[in-house]
Amino acid sequence: MRHFKTLVGKECIEEIISSRGAALYIVGCGVLSVFSLLLVSNTELSLLDNAQAVYMMSAIIIALALLIAVIRGSDGFAGERERETLETLLITPVSPNEVAIAKLMALIFSWLVLFLLSIPYLWAVGSTGQNLIPALEYLFISGTLLVVIFGGFTLALSARMKTLKGTLSIGLAAFLLSGSPILLGPSLRQSTVGRFGDLINPFANALNMLDSVVVDSLGVLFQIIPLAILVSYAIAAIWVLSMATKRVEL
Amino acid sequence: MKKYFVLCIGFMMAMLFVVAGNSHADGTPFIHVSIQAPTGALKMGDRPVFKGVVKNSGQHNLQGLVVYLSLVALKPGDEHPVDLEDWSAQKAVRIDQLVAGETNRQDWPMRLIQAGRFGVALTVVDSLENRPIVSDLIPFDIQTKPTVASSRILPVAIGEPLLLLVFFRLFHWIHTRSRRLMKGVLI
Repeated sequence: MRHFKTLVGKECIEEIISSRGAALYIVGCGVLSVFSLLLVSNTELSLLDNAQAVYMMSAIIIALALLIAVIRGSDGFAGERERETLETLLITPVSPNEVAIAKLMALIFSWLVLFLLSIPYLWAVGSTGQNLIPALEYLFISGTLLVVIFGGFTLALSARMKTLKGTLSIGLAAFLLSGSPILLGPSLRQSTVGRFGDLINPFANALNMLDSVVVDSLGVLFQIIPLAILVSYAIAAIWVLSMATKRVEL
Repeated sequence: MKKYFVLCIGFMMAMLFVVAGNSHADGTPFIHVSIQAPTGALKMGDRPVFKGVVKNSGQHNLQGLVVYLSLVALKPGDEHPVDLEDWSAQKAVRIDQLVAGETNRQDWPMRLIQAGRFGVALTVVDSLENRPIVSDLIPFDIQTKPTVASSRILPVAIGEPLLLLVFFRLFHWIHTRSRRLMKGVLI
């Protein structure tokens, strides 16, 4: 347990002190800054309700969190393998499963840092304070679950695939596919196929949940189904990760 | 002789009718156009619908009428025509035919982009007439609305990435310096 804690600490600190980790946070902040500036400089966007602006900002934060989870998750095992540091990691007195869990916890830590960095932006765009606190609560919950889902599946893929490039390609393709709700817009999602897609897509469930909480001011009862779907996916991701990392090949 | 006289009178009346065009003898047009602003207070971001009415009060049918909306800012000292680009998706409509006595009603949805005093008017152009017919100018006020506050966004949008950059630079510098010191102690 002591070794596991040390590993978790090492992985989390690496998220901050490594130049790649720092670059991701700075780029993330840059994206949020550009969107915020668009909100005030564009006539059409500047007329958005505060709640709508908070929702759009939350969607961008979630997309950024998933992108970071996919990039860092792909690097989890495949990157170590390519840098020839995986062997060193596997001879430590922690099991491959524990390594995987430590890496997943580092991804969650990375999300927490991004979440903290995004709070000033949400405060700035939600100037009237309408639904700002529920937005933060649900963003935290849905973001954490999504990072576990995407990070878990990408880490599992990373443990099984030999190359970082291959893992990253599949991870980014999955990210784009699940990000289609943002790309397509609500009108194209009104058909039966669109609704079914929304139901099985964790990203869409998180966005719909945020929409109903922030924009429509709906209560917790309306969030049970999307929350249940996200929790189910998160459990499935952890199970897949534990299966994939039972035995890790060099 | 009487037959020719009737024909001449008829011909002269027809000529008079053509010369008079779409207006009465006293110059009052056969086309009546008006626009009505929605009731109640209007504020930025609202999407009210202005109601336009075009009536053919003449004796014959009219074809190919073009009706378009005009918006002017009426703030004293800053009066200017407003480009409808952001305000309205529907800038003009064409009425194929307006039979005698018929009234055509149109909806003019608008998105209120700016606060202030504005005036709206409808203009009807009949291709057979050289004078467009303009409705009365309907003034209306748009109240301001708390929107995305630039005073809060700008410091965050510019300040946070800079602070983060400084923080990581400082962190990296301290980390490198402590490692060098450690190496020095070991050597």
